Amino acid sequence: MSSLPIIQKMLVEEFGLTQEQVQPDSKLEELGVDSLATVEFMFMLEDKFDLKMTGEPVPLKTVGDIAREVDTLVVQQGISLDQAD
Amino acid sequence: MNTESAGVQRVVVTGVGVLSPFGEGAEVLVRALEEGHSGVRFLEVPWAKSLNSALAAPVLIPVESRFTKLRRLTLDRVAQLALLAAGEALTQAGLDFSGDEGLHCGLFWGTGIGGATTLEQAYHESFLDAQARPRPTTIVAFMANGSAGQLSIEFKIRGPSFTYSSACSSSAVALGEAFLAVRQGRVRYALAGGSEALLTLGVMKAWESLQTLAKPDPVHPETSCRPFSRDRSGFILGEGAGALILESESSAQARGATILAEIVGYGNTTDAGHITQPDAGGQARAIQEALHMARLAPDQIDAINAHGTGTVVGDGVETRALKIVFGDHAAHIPISATKALHGHLMGAAGAVEMVAALGALRRGIVPPTAHWTTPDPACDLDYVTEGARALPALNTIMSNSFGFGGNNAVLIARRYTVSP
Repeated sequence: MSSLPIIQKMLVEEFGLTQEQVQPDSKLEELGVDSLATVEFMFMLEDKFDLKMTGEPVPLKTVGDIAREVDTLVVQQGISLDQAD
Repeated sequence: MNTESAGVQRVVVTGVGVLSPFGEGAEVLVRALEEGHSGVRFLEVPWAKSLNSALAAPVLIPVESRFTKLRRLTLDRVAQLALLAAGEALTQAGLDFSGDEGLHCGLFWGTGIGGATTLEQAYHESFLDAQARPRPTTIVAFMANGSAGQLSIEFKIRGPSFTYSSACSSSAVALGEAFLAVRQGRVRYALAGGSEALLTLGVMKAWESLQTLAKPDPVHPETSCRPFSRDRSGFILGEGAGALILESESSAQARGATILAEIVGYGNTTDAGHITQPDAGGQARAIQEALHMARLAPDQIDAINAHGTGTVVGDGVETRALKIVFGDHAAHIPISATKALHGHLMGAAGAVEMVAALGALRRGIVPPTAHWTTPDPACDLDYVTEGARALPALNTIMSNSFGFGGNNAVLIARRYTVSP
């Protein structure tokens, strides 16, 4: 299971974006999600999935990039996405 | 008489904007004050019971809804108020700084505390849970210059920018320094003013401890602040923002702008005496400096917007300062203390009250000092206690702002007449 649908839903709810805007290849910068907003969103994701980010800078350019990063961490940390939704 | 001399620009106001407890708009403020409406009420917040009194003067319009969720990430309420007030002022002035004109505009902003809501939220979470992480945008939302930064971004103002923090005189200082910068030709335009949003539990309790807040009137709580009245007991905390566009007369004329008034004098002194106790001598020096800069004699001041917070000590000291400067003439100058109605807007007070003063100048009507009940021998001047007063010949008005820390800022405005 991919985190993408949950992340898209959160972008809509937390940042007031539309479902059409948050496609996997949508560029964050073009959505108005700058570096500060991205960090804010990653904090939200940590709380949502009970994740721990690595602390290493990860290039996150698109909505899909965020989902892939979360999916990787979820596997590494043995977290079930079902519980987060 | 015009004050222009070699190398000095006349400075005019071409736009004003206000967010006040009366709502949005400079005109809304001016009319509410004339009509004696009070913006004071009990806060309806979950933590109201933690206060001795939740009496305050809040901005009630849904300010947050004017910004997208994404934009709000870095905007404390204090910056939201600033942006709305500045937007009104720029629209009235008819200025767009997205092009090269933005290089010639300076930004002069005042605030007492900055982003109190954001900072208090971060503290609250951190004290409750040692593992809590404040939001990543906490710093940029609460820093004192957050409003100035956000104003520059929103309106593309790219000249010099300054944030002034001198408690209750912050935005009067911002206006005064903006006036000097335009006057001396450093900038062509200035967006100047201030904003404050400190109606938070921690800040309000701290003010309660200082014992400068008005005792709530049990029957008519909205009348609890009574400047210059013998039964005065302090002020009511408020929030809001005031913004003014200052520019050189030549700039305003060249682009055909409507000129609302002229700023002609500014004085700024420091008491160097006590961190909270005001000093009549320091205040008098600021008034004298403003008069000197304006090249006005004391008897040429037609009305005063007093600092007039409604504290026992403060109103008496301000009255003494006025007598030092104006002598016997002091008794003949109408003095309005509008904080009785809009509350004490702290870092925004000087700018909001300057907008009120300019409204009085334009309309030829000075607002009342509301809620006054009883004469005080220590406050024996003309405080316009009967209600708004028509003064058709009103030509000059002075606005006083005095802050904790001992800073005194005085501004003088005059009805604009075209240079010969």
